[in-house]
Amino acid sequence: MAGPGGDMQWCFSQVKGAIDDDVAEADIISTVEFNHTGELLATGDKGGRVVIFQQEIENKNQPQFRSEYNVYSTFQSHEPEFDYLKSLEIEEKINKIRWLPQKNAAQFLLSTNDKTIKLWKISERDKRPEGYNLKEDDGRYKDPNSITSLQVPVLIPMDLMVEASPRRVFANAHTYHINSVSVNSDNETYLSADDLRVNLWHLEITDRSFNIVDIKPANMEELTEVITASEFHPHQCNTLVYSSSKGTIRLCDMRASALCDKHSKLFEEPENPSNRSFFSEIISSISDVKFSHNGRYMMTRDYLSVKIWDLNMENRPVETYQVHEYLRSKLCSLYENDCIFDKFECCWNGNDSVVMTGSYNNFFRMFDRGHRRDITLEASRENSKPMQVLKPRKVCTGGKRKKDEISVDSLDFNKKILHTAWHPQDNIIAVATTNNLYIFQDKVN
Amino acid sequence: MLGRGVKRKRSCLEELEVEVLPDGARKPDRKQDGGEDREEEAAASLLQQRQVVLGLCLKKLQDDQAGVELSLRRSVLLANTLRQIQEEMWRDRTRGPDRLDPDSCLVRDGFREDVSVTCPGCAEDGCCDAVSPDAPSQDPNGPSDQQKPPPAPAGSTLSDSATGYLSDLALDDIFEDIDTSMYETSDLPWSCGGGALWPLGVSLWPEENLKPPSLSSGGGLQSCLMDLNDLDYIIEILVKS
Repeated sequence: MAGPGGDMQWCFSQVKGAIDDDVAEADIISTVEFNHTGELLATGDKGGRVVIFQQEIENKNQPQFRSEYNVYSTFQSHEPEFDYLKSLEIEEKINKIRWLPQKNAAQFLLSTNDKTIKLWKISERDKRPEGYNLKEDDGRYKDPNSITSLQVPVLIPMDLMVEASPRRVFANAHTYHINSVSVNSDNETYLSADDLRVNLWHLEITDRSFNIVDIKPANMEELTEVITASEFHPHQCNTLVYSSSKGTIRLCDMRASALCDKHSKLFEEPENPSNRSFFSEIISSISDVKFSHNGRYMMTRDYLSVKIWDLNMENRPVETYQVHEYLRSKLCSLYENDCIFDKFECCWNGNDSVVMTGSYNNFFRMFDRGHRRDITLEASRENSKPMQVLKPRKVCTGGKRKKDEISVDSLDFNKKILHTAWHPQDNIIAVATTNNLYIFQDKVN
Repeated sequence: MLGRGVKRKRSCLEELEVEVLPDGARKPDRKQDGGEDREEEAAASLLQQRQVVLGLCLKKLQDDQAGVELSLRRSVLLANTLRQIQEEMWRDRTRGPDRLDPDSCLVRDGFREDVSVTCPGCAEDGCCDAVSPDAPSQDPNGPSDQQKPPPAPAGSTLSDSATGYLSDLALDDIFEDIDTSMYETSDLPWSCGGGALWPLGVSLWPEENLKPPSLSSGGGLQSCLMDLNDLDYIIEILVKS
């Protein structure tokens, strides 16, 4: 991507979060999501908090245009709970945040932990009423006998206050852990998916949801496959997909039947027999599925690769990008230290020409579909001078290590980038390391 | 955490990663002369890797049971890996019907309540049929989800190397990775159920076990413990024969 001819050059813009290396577990970022205009950027963490950043729109006419994201609102979305029946703690970690398209002055988002989805309203207050008849300005009630005349309260300006209030709580519909939430294009319904089921909700109705996919076997001992991700089509409100731990993606049409256990399409690539190992199934498990903005393609992320599928072709992906193929020979170690179970997400840029996903050692990768180019960049404090251009990184897979290359054995597998997001219109990306959020943008010349 | 954990050397893992091929894969530069030796080597190290993976798998499943909150995806993937190894070991064993493979047959039987542990030899089909691998994954959408077995090298070569591998190793090494100490405690969070998953004859989905572990399941558990205690005795008998 870096190079002449107007290609993108990524520069450091901002980093959010604590500087110390000692990471508090509650601060671990668990989800990142831009809203539909890109003006707001939400993060969720393991402590159940949501932090929303707002883009300060500077003068775009200035040559050194730089948009900064500053904290807009912070609130505690979920608290830890205890399931007394099963004697299990329910984590408050925010698994997913999804924004609703904006309908009025307020912003709405869905946030979910393992069991409960909440609809939050984020609204601004920049005026307050003054001059109540029955109350003093500080809130104390007046003595009714002292009131001799009526006055009309007036709204006076005040410092901007951003309030987050829970408007709906969608609970008790999931036996297993929720991994996905997706708002339908009809703006009325949304789906939530756990390991074995996908449920359909109406945004206004919290006391019931419809189960539309159920892969739970009658005998749990026969369970061999779970749902790993699910999403609604961006334009067709009847279409959804869900991915599985066996590397398959099923596309379902809700018009076909009430229960979408029979898929309309099954996307699966036959396995390459020369690559077969004990870990084949684990690395084929799909960790994320995302439709393209235009709705023609979908992208899946498994442990080692990113695949782009044409919705009209089920038997193989149209494009496959290797994220970190050098790890294939290390699968045994990665199995031992559990890294092989890491779930990486992936995302599209605004016009579906570039896709991005994370890797280890705080590396993240971008694949330019049109130009057949890819780049590896690093999110680190060392490269965080304002507007510093990021240098492409390279992993040395064998033989002589060149200068500036890093060898596979030196990679830090504790530094993983699982969550990334791309601004819906501009070349601004948000990349989450363990407890820091990096914002990079395309250098504007 | 229950048990002693898996004994393995770090260098063993690293060595495996350098040398061991994925199942059924062949080194492209293998030459004909000395090729057989290399094949035997590769098969032996493949078996070694399988042993390591088996041990890790069991350890992880054990840890998952020990009060840490289950990730169903992780448990399913581990169980499937275990099942795959089980099927491979069973297939290897059936290729060499005249020699006992204590890994697959005996240990498996040792964990089953209803099969006699005195398995005289693998020539006895009844013994092994009783522990035939599970039906392929329940999936109404077609056979594509079934786990395909890896392409096998020539039967005789593998059985020769398998038996050679067995006679070269002290039997202790074979069972090194199988941790039996978890059966020695009385505080077990799960109930001993049907043997769908070897060698743990337990339910992996405690979320589905609405009744807490109780004495009613103790009978099955006791029988598991007894079988394990008999295991050492059986091994001795076999080695002497």
